Amino acid sequence: MDIYLPIAEVSVNWPLLVLLGATVGFVSGLFGIGGGFLMAPILIFMGIPPSVAVASQASHVVASSTSGVISYTSQKAVDYRIGGVMALGGVIGALLGVELFRYLRLLGQADMAVAVSYLLFLGAIGTLMLYESLGQILRRVRGEILPHKERRRPLWLYGLPLKMRFPRSGLYISAIPPFVLGGFAGVLSAIMGVGGGFILVPAMLYVLRMKAGVVVGTSLFQIIIVTAMTTVLQAGRNQTVDIVLSMLLLVGGVVGAQYGARLSGRFRPDVLRALLGLIVLLVGIQMGLELFVRPSDLFAFAPGVPD
Amino acid sequence: MQALPPPPPAIVAPAPERSVGTTGQVRVAAAMTDARVMIDSSFRGASIVLYGAVFNPTDRPADVVVVVRGPDGPVRLVKKTRHMGFWLNSRPVLFEGAPGFYMTASTRPLPDIADFGQLRRLGVGVDHLRINAPQESRTVTRYGVRDVVVSRLGEDYLDYRRAVIRLREAAALYNTDPDGVEFVDAGLFRAELELPAVAPTGEYFAEVWLFQDGEPVSVSNLTLTVEKVGIERGLYEFAHRRPWSYGILTVLLAALMGWGASRLFRRS
Repeated sequence: MDIYLPIAEVSVNWPLLVLLGATVGFVSGLFGIGGGFLMAPILIFMGIPPSVAVASQASHVVASSTSGVISYTSQKAVDYRIGGVMALGGVIGALLGVELFRYLRLLGQADMAVAVSYLLFLGAIGTLMLYESLGQILRRVRGEILPHKERRRPLWLYGLPLKMRFPRSGLYISAIPPFVLGGFAGVLSAIMGVGGGFILVPAMLYVLRMKAGVVVGTSLFQIIIVTAMTTVLQAGRNQTVDIVLSMLLLVGGVVGAQYGARLSGRFRPDVLRALLGLIVLLVGIQMGLELFVRPSDLFAFAPGVPD
Repeated sequence: MQALPPPPPAIVAPAPERSVGTTGQVRVAAAMTDARVMIDSSFRGASIVLYGAVFNPTDRPADVVVVVRGPDGPVRLVKKTRHMGFWLNSRPVLFEGAPGFYMTASTRPLPDIADFGQLRRLGVGVDHLRINAPQESRTVTRYGVRDVVVSRLGEDYLDYRRAVIRLREAAALYNTDPDGVEFVDAGLFRAELELPAVAPTGEYFAEVWLFQDGEPVSVSNLTLTVEKVGIERGLYEFAHRRPWSYGILTVLLAALMGWGASRLFRRS
């Protein structure tokens, strides 16, 4: 049941990879995220070189997000206008990110950059999500009235030039914040191999204050564009995309995503957010742990040899 | 009328002298069960048997040492150091001369077979590999002696060098087996060569040394080719020769599968 991966140059158990793809796909469909943040650590743990894991799973994110966007489009829950602005930023961010990753690999700091990014971003986002959703659940259980929601956007959003109308999101704001947000997700996509949904969704909800109904579909749309770009760039510049690994993850992933999406309607959104926050936080801590724990071997091989 | 067979050559070539000198001189001869290891999609490592014969007309005992060396490639090594509570990577150090695979198998532990100088001269044993960090070294004049090589790594140099070997040993790429050569019959020996799935592709060189009284008396050289074949090779070459098309194809396949799945599930 083992298969030799031509680019990763390791032998792995293929049913396990399909199962992993299905599980991450399920999670991704359930929460409306790409699921890359969950996949990369597990692949690395299975012994796949980190650079190959990060680059190959980006295409898994493409597939699971594609099927997600199709179902959200039929529900008219994708704002292609703001998504396009974000994707433009994302593509530029991905270009910068892939070059940055190359440079970090040469410095021998790539694995450290990955660990720091995971700890920092997943830790912060996970904590915030958990705190916010647990508070909401507690209030609901106690039967308290929800406090009046602050619907005002930060004032600086209105002071910027290049204003655009985004009717589907109910926004009339500058194009700069969504562009910058997309660019930031693009950089993370190249370094962490993630779509960036866990950053985009909260930022779109709480900073841009988009209509909640279009947030997930739009973020998935931007994620497709960015992860597709990342995959092509990683293949072209670093030759680290393993097509066999990608396809195995995909087969499970697309099926899992469909079941996840079906099930997501049965849970309350605050419970889902609390659960996702917990997973995000745990993965962040797990990946960041290597910065604090004394390594079993002080020496390690650095991938990538300069020509 | 049929053509007659050509007349026999005037001078008959002598038969290859396969067994010449075996009676008078100490010799070793060896061969491998496979000269080619093919990496296909079911590759999980390979086990190859190296066998051979020792012709030893003298009454002094002889030792067999098998050395297998994979393709060389530079490696980069980082050392983790603690700064303000964080474990951070040092600047990477480039080491050259580290073979991608290295194993020795012998009838006795290597230090019992030959002395340090002899093993070092022949490059037999992991401790005697010519692993070096040339970019870190410079030549200086010390105590009036010119061209003394010192390393910028200072005392850490040996730790780094040892770490290369230790990490490779942990990945089963380096191996030292002091009783890996086994005599199955008088003068007939065998040794096993275990290639892990992560073994690099390329040309491998095997040396079979025969030692007597700490001196090498005979050697037999063999080669082994490890290569990707079939679809593994095709994909690897595609990814390296046309990387951009490869990337675009991967993305298209991914998008197609995502689209296909959503179509499939909407209908059912």
